[in-house]
Amino acid sequence: MHNVVIVGGGPAGLSAALSAAAAGAPVLLLDSNPRLGGQYWRQPDESFGDQGSQHFDLETGLLLINAVKARKEIEVWSGAQIWSATHKDGVNTLRVLVNGKEKIINTGNLILCTGAYDRTLPFPGWDIPGVMTPGGVQSLIKGHGVLAGKKVVVAGSGPFLLPVAAGVVKAGGSVVELLEANKSRRWITSLFVVLENLSKIKEGFYYIKTISEAKVRARFGYAVVAAHAGVNGELDSVDVAKINRNFKIKKVRNVKCDVAAIGWGFTPDTTLAGTLGCKQIVAKDGAVVVSADSNQQSSVAGVFVAGEITGIGGSELSMAEGVIAGLSAAKFVGCKVEVLKAHRARRAKKQRFATALINSYPIKDGWKSWVHQETIICRCEEVKLKDLHYAIDELGATDSRTAKLLTRCGMGMCQGRICGRSVVDLVADQLNVSPTDTDRISAVNRPIITPISLGQLAAGE
Amino acid sequence: MSPAEIKFYFDDQEVIGLTGQSVGAALLANGDRILRKTRFNEKARGVFCGIGVCFDCLVVIDGLANQRACITEIKAGMKVQTQAGADA
Repeated sequence: MHNVVIVGGGPAGLSAALSAAAAGAPVLLLDSNPRLGGQYWRQPDESFGDQGSQHFDLETGLLLINAVKARKEIEVWSGAQIWSATHKDGVNTLRVLVNGKEKIINTGNLILCTGAYDRTLPFPGWDIPGVMTPGGVQSLIKGHGVLAGKKVVVAGSGPFLLPVAAGVVKAGGSVVELLEANKSRRWITSLFVVLENLSKIKEGFYYIKTISEAKVRARFGYAVVAAHAGVNGELDSVDVAKINRNFKIKKVRNVKCDVAAIGWGFTPDTTLAGTLGCKQIVAKDGAVVVSADSNQQSSVAGVFVAGEITGIGGSELSMAEGVIAGLSAAKFVGCKVEVLKAHRARRAKKQRFATALINSYPIKDGWKSWVHQETIICRCEEVKLKDLHYAIDELGATDSRTAKLLTRCGMGMCQGRICGRSVVDLVADQLNVSPTDTDRISAVNRPIITPISLGQLAAGE
Repeated sequence: MSPAEIKFYFDDQEVIGLTGQSVGAALLANGDRILRKTRFNEKARGVFCGIGVCFDCLVVIDGLANQRACITEIKAGMKVQTQAGADA
């Protein structure tokens, strides 16, 4: 019998497991990856040897991972895919595939640390093999020792582009362009936040040092606005545009590359929390996040949430939230433990830095002008912008949900994880209205956690 | 210690990957970037998100369609095929 079940083995989940176990609660930690660490501390098989050079701070990750492994109160299921989840009368039922076998978990006490994935924006040619997310390029390097291509363009917006460019350089690749769409570096102006978070500044300089040693220069106010395939159907070049403050194109030139890693910050993966009925809200940047109280409890009693699903904030904020979630969950199951003032103060400090960072990298409306009528919006169902416009202009769709039902946009295998957020923006744009919170939240509503085939289920028990 | 080599097949061609690598990673290392053709426009697709979110790197593995190459670990003798359409 496990008192606390935790989903996700990244910075938040590892921290939650340790604090819950230290408070006396037995823990079951479910992780979909083959190895603990999440996306941030992703590592290849141990036979690859020391991976420190691909990380700014793998030491912290290894400390947490080894501590989790050492505690006998914590049981870890790696490679565990949750495909369905329901909540009824205080009991959460998770259906999990572990090594091809289905297991069913019933628990009243859950901590969800399901993380985030790269936010992408559609543009002409973004479905060509070779166009990838920065997180994808990084996971290939960190988790598999594979460089996706030799000549890499890294573009989009946000601080994550730096470690990805640095990782490509360290793996022996060439970063032919490093493009940040935003010009301002407004976080410099919030000096107090910078000073109280010097470790994050150190991390930034570490990446900048690596990329400048390779003579890569970051360009601000530029974006990749189109990709082109060669005769073999693979990526051959991208159109790099100088853009204005609102992301409207000013001037374009063509750049040859094998890989374009393009990302616009992150989207929290709130699917599991949403399915269990946890209240979701829309953050200032338009991302849907799970609402959490000061003890990291969601709107569902006994279901706690920590890390990126409560708002994008990076590994340190995730760890701070994870500790509080672990303590709160332990208290919920009867352990004599309290969340301390110091825990809350640490979380508040990391939160201030995260907020300053998010405010510094806004995604401006002008990206919609890069999208043409023939541009694929939904990669799974191959729905084009003109199909969405037809649903609105000719079939009378008055919101993104109806446009989705009329076109199947966002109804494919990924269940709108990739296009959903953009579709809400594109539909509202065509209707000449602002997206509502209801539009945004309904776009992340997914009945299945992970689509699996009947064959996989039949192969189980 | 260095990772062991693992032999598997992609469209009947022998490919050597390393312990713990995903099908997608081992194929990229081998220079194979096109993993499927879409069912309506027959457009080439490959690894996009790399972490199991986007379902774009779908391949047929040992006869089972719609497997995510980016999160499926390679095994000796595994038969991986380019997926055409839904291929179910």
